[in-house]
Amino acid sequence: MVEFLQFTLGGISFGLIYAAIALSLVLIWRGTRLLNFAQGGMAMFTTFIALEVIYRTGSYWAGFVVALAAGIVLGAVTELAVIRPTLGKPELNAVIVTIGLLILLEGLAGIFYGGQFRSFPTAFSDIGLRAGSTPLGVSRFDVFVAAAVLAITLLLAVGFRYTSAGLRMRAAAFNATVARLSGIRVARVITVGWALAGLLGALAGVLVSPSTFLYPNSMDSIFVFGFTAAVIGGLDSPVGAVIGGLLLGVVLNIAGGYLGADVTALIALGILVVVLMIRPAGLFAGARVRRV
Amino acid sequence: MSSPAEAPGARAHGPASLAVQDLVAGYGGVLALDSVTITADAGTITTVLGANGAGKTTLLRVISGMVRPRSGRVLVDGADRAGRSPEDLARAGIVHVPEGQGVIAELTVEENLRLGMMCWPGIAQLRRPGRRAERAAALAEAYERFSVLADRRQKLASTLSGGERQMLVIARALVARPRVLLLDEPSLGLAPRIMTQVMDMVVRLSRENGITIVLVEQNARAALAIADHGVVLNLGRVVAAADARALAADVALRHHYLGF
Repeated sequence: MVEFLQFTLGGISFGLIYAAIALSLVLIWRGTRLLNFAQGGMAMFTTFIALEVIYRTGSYWAGFVVALAAGIVLGAVTELAVIRPTLGKPELNAVIVTIGLLILLEGLAGIFYGGQFRSFPTAFSDIGLRAGSTPLGVSRFDVFVAAAVLAITLLLAVGFRYTSAGLRMRAAAFNATVARLSGIRVARVITVGWALAGLLGALAGVLVSPSTFLYPNSMDSIFVFGFTAAVIGGLDSPVGAVIGGLLLGVVLNIAGGYLGADVTALIALGILVVVLMIRPAGLFAGARVRRV
Repeated sequence: MSSPAEAPGARAHGPASLAVQDLVAGYGGVLALDSVTITADAGTITTVLGANGAGKTTLLRVISGMVRPRSGRVLVDGADRAGRSPEDLARAGIVHVPEGQGVIAELTVEENLRLGMMCWPGIAQLRRPGRRAERAAALAEAYERFSVLADRRQKLASTLSGGERQMLVIARALVARPRVLLLDEPSLGLAPRIMTQVMDMVVRLSRENGITIVLVEQNARAALAIADHGVVLNLGRVVAAADARALAADVALRHHYLGF
């Protein structure tokens, strides 16, 4: 029983990292109806930038902040330079272009930094916490991960719901035509959406790299799990992304704990297949008619 | 393209006159508007009639910037605005309500009304303290005029009935303070009694709020009853343009093009 609890708690921090990636994918999906295959690669790249800053300044937090800022910039630049030209063209173009960006980023990281696994520091101790004498399966760093992701998610949720800018983004996502006719600069809104997605990806990157080590392909599997979480929750649903991520993280940690780590990828894909068969729109998708 | 007196963020007030001259527009190989010329005086209601496929919707889409014309001019108070983007035109006071898409169903009633404020001039200066009061006043005015909406302000627009939804459409148009309002079949799918209410609201918008209205309607009889001028399109061409009463009295025309 205690073991079960440990696995559950331990799965929460990874689950929230998957949730961050899932959220970034949902943001982009809702705004532009695109799947950003480069999301993991962008996160890896900004984490390398963070590492560079940490090496040079000796400060974790400087690296953390620079990574988030780089994520915002990278997201916005990607939308403007890479995605915008594919508007109005066959949808496959945008897909190919994001895959191309992924390959480019991983290649560049390999050229600049080489392929060896690098360790990435944590801001807080990663020694397991205990309740009395019982290990809990989580560390201070895990708590920080959970707090950081939840804080940003909450900020975004509040921003979307209560600010004018948030209203513009939601309007543009629900009905771009009416939004444009209302005077909303939908193109600008989309760029902001990609910038926020970049921020979320960058956050996920710095939070997960201590565990996975940092190398050009390190975010590939995280991307797959994040994508799985997004699909489970429903690509249109931010709430679904978070809950999907948590569910996936916990289930995979429990399964990995009892059955061994080799099984996690298999189980993740198994869950994906089951969800797609039973409820293809995702667990949290409302029935929604989208006017074309 | 913009007149020299126009500063970014500035917008003149009051109803604007609207004219399209020799407008040619289409989609791919299909010509929807074939050299169309129409004038709408400031503050009047002009109704555009005709069968499906006559080009009525395309006309509105060209005026609001959704469709680029191949040639021709769109004059708002004498300035040519053809080819500008929909966002720019909305901010200049040209508000287009497309057929069946007057509100965003996934947003609440109040959020839809706030959408109407997005095209106010100087919208970038949101932080100005005066702005907040201005926005609150605009909302209050809308709720006073449409008490049904006041009762539903936090409900999703998708929960409104057809008539209530059109009420929201008109309320949002009111909040937007347009100089020219383009309405595409506002009475579509509504019960006759509700249709009358919507037409009344359109008339009030024109008379009380001083808005130039271009009304595309299938229900020609109801539209001609409230309009000042009428234009009949057929296969992308203007086949009649006259005072609304004259059009309504022209029995032959009505039978041939308007079905009554």
